[in-house]
Amino acid sequence: MGADMSFDLGLILSYLPRILEGLGVTLMLWVIGSALGLAVGFAVAVGRRYGPAPLGWLLRGIVEVIRGTPFLVQVFLLYYGGPFIGLRLENIPAGILALAIYAAAYYSELWRAGFDAIPKGHLEAADCVGFTEWQTLRRIILPEMTVLVLPSMVNMTILILKETAILSIISLPELTLSVSAIGTQHYAFVESFTVLALLYWALVEICGALGRRAEARLSKYRFAT
Amino acid sequence: MSAPMPAVRIEGLCKDFGTTRVLDGIDLDIPRGKVTCLIGPSGSGKSTLLRCVALLEEPTDGYISINGDPLGFDRGPNGARVKLPARQIRKVRSRIGMVFQQFNLWPHMTAVGNVSEALVTVRGMSRADAEERARKELDAIGLGARAGHYPSELSGGQQQRVAIARALALDPGIMLFDEPTASLDPELTGEVLNVMRRLAESGMTMLVVTHEIGFAASVGSKIAFLDHGRILVEGAPGEVFAKPREPRIDQFLETYLDRGAATLL
Amino acid sequence: MSWKLFWLLVEAARLTVLLSAGAIAIGFLIACLVCAGMLSHNRVARGAGRLFVSFFRGTPLLVQLLLIYYLLPSIGLDVPSEVAAITGMALCTAAYQAEIMRGGLGAVPSGLLEAAEMTGMSAAQTFRRIRLPIAFKLTLPALVSEAIMMLKSSSLVSVVGVIELTRMAQDLAASTYRPLELYAAAGLIYLVINIVVALLGTGLEARLRWGRI
Ligand SMILES: Nc1ncnc2c1ncn2[C@@H]1O[C@H](COP(=O)(O)OP(=O)(O)OP(=O)(O)O)[C@@H](O)[C@H]1O
Ligand SMILES: [Mg+2]
Repeated sequence: MGADMSFDLGLILSYLPRILEGLGVTLMLWVIGSALGLAVGFAVAVGRRYGPAPLGWLLRGIVEVIRGTPFLVQVFLLYYGGPFIGLRLENIPAGILALAIYAAAYYSELWRAGFDAIPKGHLEAADCVGFTEWQTLRRIILPEMTVLVLPSMVNMTILILKETAILSIISLPELTLSVSAIGTQHYAFVESFTVLALLYWALVEICGALGRRAEARLSKYRFAT
Repeated sequence: MSAPMPAVRIEGLCKDFGTTRVLDGIDLDIPRGKVTCLIGPSGSGKSTLLRCVALLEEPTDGYISINGDPLGFDRGPNGARVKLPARQIRKVRSRIGMVFQQFNLWPHMTAVGNVSEALVTVRGMSRADAEERARKELDAIGLGARAGHYPSELSGGQQQRVAIARALALDPGIMLFDEPTASLDPELTGEVLNVMRRLAESGMTMLVVTHEIGFAASVGSKIAFLDHGRILVEGAPGEVFAKPREPRIDQFLETYLDRGAATLL
Repeated sequence: MSWKLFWLLVEAARLTVLLSAGAIAIGFLIACLVCAGMLSHNRVARGAGRLFVSFFRGTPLLVQLLLIYYLLPSIGLDVPSEVAAITGMALCTAAYQAEIMRGGLGAVPSGLLEAAEMTGMSAAQTFRRIRLPIAFKLTLPALVSEAIMMLKSSSLVSVVGVIELTRMAQDLAASTYRPLELYAAAGLIYLVINIVVALLGTGLEARLRWGRI
């Protein structure tokens, strides 16, 4: 590193309010995107399991297309291509929508795996004690599934957090954009991206730790296999 | 007149897992050319004892010798227990063959591959010679026609017979069996027990952990009854099973009534 | 959209495949080292391996790419942006691959290794002849997923100026003002590539016909 380019993380950190603002947007995107994704993903999984066959094929096709293409291309398609089919969105709603669709596709696969993993015997047992179908879903399937799919859901949700960074490419003022803007302003690229990496790393590690704690707490409900 | 040297001599063997003592001072001789059966309730330490003789577990205390050669540990000059070098361990252990409850065949190799693998990698035979030898072993247990099958394409009984062939191909002096039929369907246990019976008739030294009391009583020359990590009774089947019996053995046999122990009651 | 435009995208997709394949291959070699570190008895090596995995799995690839893109010149390595891109991708996939390998090696049933030990195989022979091939079979699906993940992630190197598929679509969209068709076409090409990779993976799995473990 040249003598004139001292490595100064303090410079970046002096912009703390701007960083926190960006962090706030990132967290907002993440929470809304993954919450929508979880809900829609669940609906997709239910549709594929209980819906008529053509609906199942359609949903499967959509899920495979989303899982088989880069998130960035999806974002571009929605944000730049959308207006050509009358879908004119600002970058924040476009970002959230893209994130939610992307997340829904992946979550639906996890929900589906959860449905498949519940032993048939448990459902038959519920039938025998006279549960209605709705009761079976609410009292048996959902709780069991939550325990089963939690670890992969936590992983997926962390993945979504990292994907929000991609939304900086459509100038969405989240963490990556805010911090790299500070870097550009001072011509301190290495510093800004180092701070950025450390921030994401800390966030991901914290979420991972919380997820593991939740798993540990729920693991006593795990049924014997 | 001194007794002939046993194939395996176990003296003062102890094994702790953490703070729990699983084997508590085992003394046992395994006579050469005979079948010794280890019986006892679940959790009494039978597998652990067998695994110590195979050195898959390191004993906490005590000594094991194979044909008089110390296995794993030896008495040092001042009575201390010293660990032997790895080369010595490998040499002594190469006389032992082991058969596991779960077969443990390597899934990516055919029956022939499983039996010939160590002949190539350990004994340095050519692949062709090793496979020829392996085929002979498989023929001997009636699996010649299945030589090219993968373990997933064989029944449990067939897999266990391949596992026996794999151990026998290395010409061990002693064969250890840990509940070789416990994970088999009842109709498949017979074929494995028959192979073991023939092996016993050929004069192989065998140490067998089993819940097949009928097999133990008819094929075993010596029975050791293990309870809570100690040997409660040992002797010829006639002595161990003769009435009046140790109450613990009575209790144990009642549990295994349906396993051919009925005749002993 | 004209065939000419589509053909330009297909040409650019060659770089996408090349970059991804290169990153996966280099990443595999790094992953072997990292995995060896994580499984080593040496505490420093273990810590370093875990730190590597944690960092590269814990930060967005986009940020890693930008950091490396600016870091390399600042330490005196003036390399083309393709090299910066492939470095970033390789480091990232190495972390994921190392974790997959560690899981696979750990999932080999211990009884199979004990059986090898009982036949007198050395630790090295047991590893090479028994543990590694079984772990490979166990991890094959995860490794194929990781390859597909990398193909998709390669779109991010467009931000450091590498003209691969996504960047080509972006440039063409700007000049022709037809983003809808161009991004849809780019997506389609990614989809086809990924389907081919997935099929290759299933084919390879089917060839390892030795079934369940
Ligand atoms: N690796 C281990 N770590 C801790 N405890 C162990 C371990 N292996 C065995 N034990 C304990 O040692 C005791 C003896 O186990 P062992 O497997 O030798 O019993 P066993 O007589 O073979 O029983 P079974 O008939 O069920 O096979 C048991 O209480 C078991 O829980
Ligand atoms: Mg046992």
